[in-house]
Amino acid sequence: MSQLSALSDGQLVQRCRAGDDEAWHELVERFSRYVYAVATRGFRLSEEDAEDVFQDVFTRVYTHLGTLRDDSALRPWIAQLTRRVCLDSIARRGREQPASEPVSEEIAAGLDEIDEAFTVREALTTLSEPCQDILDRFFARDQSYRTISDELEIPSGTIASRIARCLSKLRVELEGREPPPAGSRG
Amino acid sequence: METEDYLHLRLDDFLARLAAGGRAPGGGSAAALTVAFAASLVAMAARCSRESWEDAAGVAAQALAIADRAAVLARVDATVWQEAADALGRTAAGDPGLRDRDLEQKLERAAALPLEIAELGADTAALAETAGEYCDGAYRADAAAAAALAAGGAGAAAHLVRVNLAVREGDKRLARARASEQAASEAARRTLSSIR
Repeated sequence: MSQLSALSDGQLVQRCRAGDDEAWHELVERFSRYVYAVATRGFRLSEEDAEDVFQDVFTRVYTHLGTLRDDSALRPWIAQLTRRVCLDSIARRGREQPASEPVSEEIAAGLDEIDEAFTVREALTTLSEPCQDILDRFFARDQSYRTISDELEIPSGTIASRIARCLSKLRVELEGREPPPAGSRG
Repeated sequence: METEDYLHLRLDDFLARLAAGGRAPGGGSAAALTVAFAASLVAMAARCSRESWEDAAGVAAQALAIADRAAVLARVDATVWQEAADALGRTAAGDPGLRDRDLEQKLERAAALPLEIAELGADTAALAETAGEYCDGAYRADAAAAAALAAGGAGAAAHLVRVNLAVREGDKRLARARASEQAASEAARRTLSSIR
């Protein structure tokens, strides 16, 4: 884990405001998958439109970072911004609804899932490397206990309990977090 | 070619489909769903033991992940097997348009799926054994049932790997399938013998 990736969102915002280019790259890296997921999976935009949303969102973040009142609220701010830019994109294309209308329940549910996944991903980064690795192997890469055992050279019979303990740590981390502010997507 | 998602069928409809006499769904799908049933039973036993078993939630989460994967494989296996069987049929009919490589690729895919199912069966049996040891006493018989089902699913899937035309003696997939079958069988035997 790099030094920058260990920074909180608030600390990252402060470094960006101070003109730290590396911090800016870290900010984009931290939120790029989220923005892209909201555009493609949440609003089902084409790849081309999602690319435009991506550029637009981070341009606005860069330009208006100084107006963010609470540095720790970076994520809900980016979430809201992304949602608005996606709706603008849809309106421009003349599809579905105008930007001022609320999103459909289906899209809202998709956005909730993305938010949840992002929260879990963030929490994962606070766990030890071995925990991150074993959870990633089992839940994201669908590796069997035997494959995990062979590749990590640990006894097969201990894999399930190791995963269970790492999940417990993840749960503690997630329960210690405040829920995102209501209506953070605008 | 697409087969429908069996998870959207009523159970009796799925059983009727299985018995209908078509090529798919067949043994692979049934093995996958057996593993999914077993994994769901483990999840149930673990979830009902949260108060007395520290790792219960973590074991339940793993069992649910396995059940999801196995259920998806039930559908994918049917699709892949149907494609391989169609290709074999065209080859047998002497279709000159069918290249050997195409058939081989379809058979390779048809072997990969049961291998994955066998490995999920082994993992489920391992989880069931753990559940049998630590879960609330009222659910130990369910954990034992899960272990037996998982071993059945793993054994059936391993057999499908063995009989696949693309798999030959000495093939690594065969060794993995056998190892999964054996691990599942041993876990089930230990679990069944320890819970009476």
